[in-house]
Amino acid sequence: MASHGIPRVSGASLDKSEQAKQKERKQIDQYKALESEVTDRIKARDYSNATFQATSKLLSQNPEYYTIWNHRRRLLQDVFARELATGPSGPLIDETDAAAAQKAGLTLAQHEIALLVKEDLLFLIPLLKQYPKCYWIWNHRSWLLSTATQHLPVHNSSELWQGELGLVTKMLSLDSRNFHGWGYRRQVVKEIEQLNGSSMAESEFTYTTKMVETNLSNFSAWHNRSQLIPRILSDRQASSKQRQTFFDSEFELITRALYTDPYDQSLWFYHQYLMATLDASNDQALPILDPCTNTGRVDYLEREIDSIKEMLEGAEDCKYIYQALLEYSSRYIEVEAGNKKVSTVELREWLDELRKLDPLRAGRWRDWQEQLKL
Amino acid sequence: MSLAAGPGRGHVAVGQLPEELKLVVDKHVAYIQSLDTRKDELEYHLTEHLRIGGIYWGLTALHLLGHPDALPREGLIDYVLSCLCESGGFGAAPGHDAHILYTGYSVQILTMIDGFGALEERLPDCKQKIARFVASHQQPDGTFAGDEWGEIDTRFLFSALYTLSLLGYLPHQRPSEPPLINLPAATAYIKACQNFDGAFGVSPGAESHSGQVFTCVGALYIAGELDSYLGEEGKDRLGAWLSERQLPSGGLNGRPEKLVDVCYSWWVMSSMAMIGRLHWIDKAKLTAFILQCQDPDEGGMADRPGDMVDVFHTVFGVAGLSLLGYPGLVEVDPAYCMPRHITAQISK
Repeated sequence: MASHGIPRVSGASLDKSEQAKQKERKQIDQYKALESEVTDRIKARDYSNATFQATSKLLSQNPEYYTIWNHRRRLLQDVFARELATGPSGPLIDETDAAAAQKAGLTLAQHEIALLVKEDLLFLIPLLKQYPKCYWIWNHRSWLLSTATQHLPVHNSSELWQGELGLVTKMLSLDSRNFHGWGYRRQVVKEIEQLNGSSMAESEFTYTTKMVETNLSNFSAWHNRSQLIPRILSDRQASSKQRQTFFDSEFELITRALYTDPYDQSLWFYHQYLMATLDASNDQALPILDPCTNTGRVDYLEREIDSIKEMLEGAEDCKYIYQALLEYSSRYIEVEAGNKKVSTVELREWLDELRKLDPLRAGRWRDWQEQLKL
Repeated sequence: MSLAAGPGRGHVAVGQLPEELKLVVDKHVAYIQSLDTRKDELEYHLTEHLRIGGIYWGLTALHLLGHPDALPREGLIDYVLSCLCESGGFGAAPGHDAHILYTGYSVQILTMIDGFGALEERLPDCKQKIARFVASHQQPDGTFAGDEWGEIDTRFLFSALYTLSLLGYLPHQRPSEPPLINLPAATAYIKACQNFDGAFGVSPGAESHSGQVFTCVGALYIAGELDSYLGEEGKDRLGAWLSERQLPSGGLNGRPEKLVDVCYSWWVMSSMAMIGRLHWIDKAKLTAFILQCQDPDEGGMADRPGDMVDVFHTVFGVAGLSLLGYPGLVEVDPAYCMPRHITAQISK
């Protein structure tokens, strides 16, 4: 792909020596020869183990070469189809395999498919570690698992998906913001839930708690948490009171975090997520409180405005605080006709501070001033 | 066209003050022209799967720089045609499998070089065949797969819509024919990818991400549903999230607490332009940031000052400058990332 974060090289090192050029020419020749080998074999529909090994070699050198991943899947599909067609009375049955299959409660074809899938999953692990942002590797992994799920009994495919949960946990411990990793995690959880017929929302929620405790700034974890909350509450069949208690404990958590670092954007977005549930005009807000009455809204807005005002002490130069105060106050004024909490003078002061602290977004503050008629 | 990184690096020339930064147009043109002469580098061969994308990025940059003819037209047509697969889709290079993304780039290139006539000779009724290839990837829930293997991503949905629109095969462009795709289902899927912060993720439930915001906003823009789906409040909310991507360096990042990058700068600012909120960031600082990412000696732009240049960041840097009104550049269309005078001819 395009180069991201590849540091500069000095001009001198760009001028390659004749020796280096020769070495590179040799590498190119070897690479092109390997590419032709794979392409020729596939054209000839040679779906042998030798072809499979050649794709492994090529993909290890270049995991972005999507057509080769496609060829690898075509080959695997062909092998699986042959396994399934051969049936239990096939001519080439290895007795050890037959015994192993029987012990595992699988047909011979299933046993072979499981072995091949597991082998390919293992092949991908070092590649994933080396190229954690390569779409095609994640994509191939997901195809292997889905294909296995089609052919294997629930117990076996569920075991495979469980293994994936372990893998993705490891991947996210290496890069806790990896976009592919979080997406894959949601897919894995969904599959396990479907296969086992039970929700994993609680354990996934605990996982996000662990992740944000390790690094408060991990918005990917906060995001996932935000998606799990409505499900947890529904799984628990939480009463109105229990929902409120839950909501309050989330506010406690985020307020503590904000006191630790009010300059962290991720935390403010999570606070916004909680506040969005009180905002009737936000049709993408997720439901937490039930019912969410106007009196409830006013109470929460008042409480949060007070709490955020307190945060100002010692963090007077933190623009997010003024932003939050303005945002929540304007919503408060909308829902509470008899507003006694915020004065226009205060709103103007906050906006002035914001302008001073954050001149990059001057245009936004100007539009806001007009909207708030300040 | 090589996507190999380098050879140069983005930096500020010695002794130059930031306010003296200038776009080195001729050097960027020469840099793009030189890209196909790098066959002696291993990376040229390792990046073959991006060749058609590289041509689209290079050609668009040249158009915006005011040098639309700097690459030989015949060579481009031959190359694009050599990527055509039997299915009516295009692969990333000759012999590579068809994919919705590379079909999109191919159609963008053919549109910019007026190459459909040449394609028609090879493939009669070519526009309809390509459109049918694209449409065949729509899923029951409205979204699009990237290829026959079924990967799902809002990038593919966006690619499908702009490709069909360039070909003139969106339902509203052919009101008398049965629609090739279910457009309301596609836009409903986009809505399902929107989060409380107003921004969009790669699929329903996924974290907001600037690249995905660009594809979703672009798709709604092309479908003509931006106003009806977002409204002023929705635009304010999304605009706020997008404007927070600007960091003190002037560059924009892709998600909270990530590094700035020229490519994210484009995806964020083009989305802001489409929703009419581009004035919510500091344009002068962003202009300076992009200019600092160019290699003033060899041409090309990098993701950040000091890093290796490549054609991908070069086009998004140039397109960004065009959107910011940098003098002398051809105006860019924020949704298609193509010259505005060309997209203005798309049938409505």
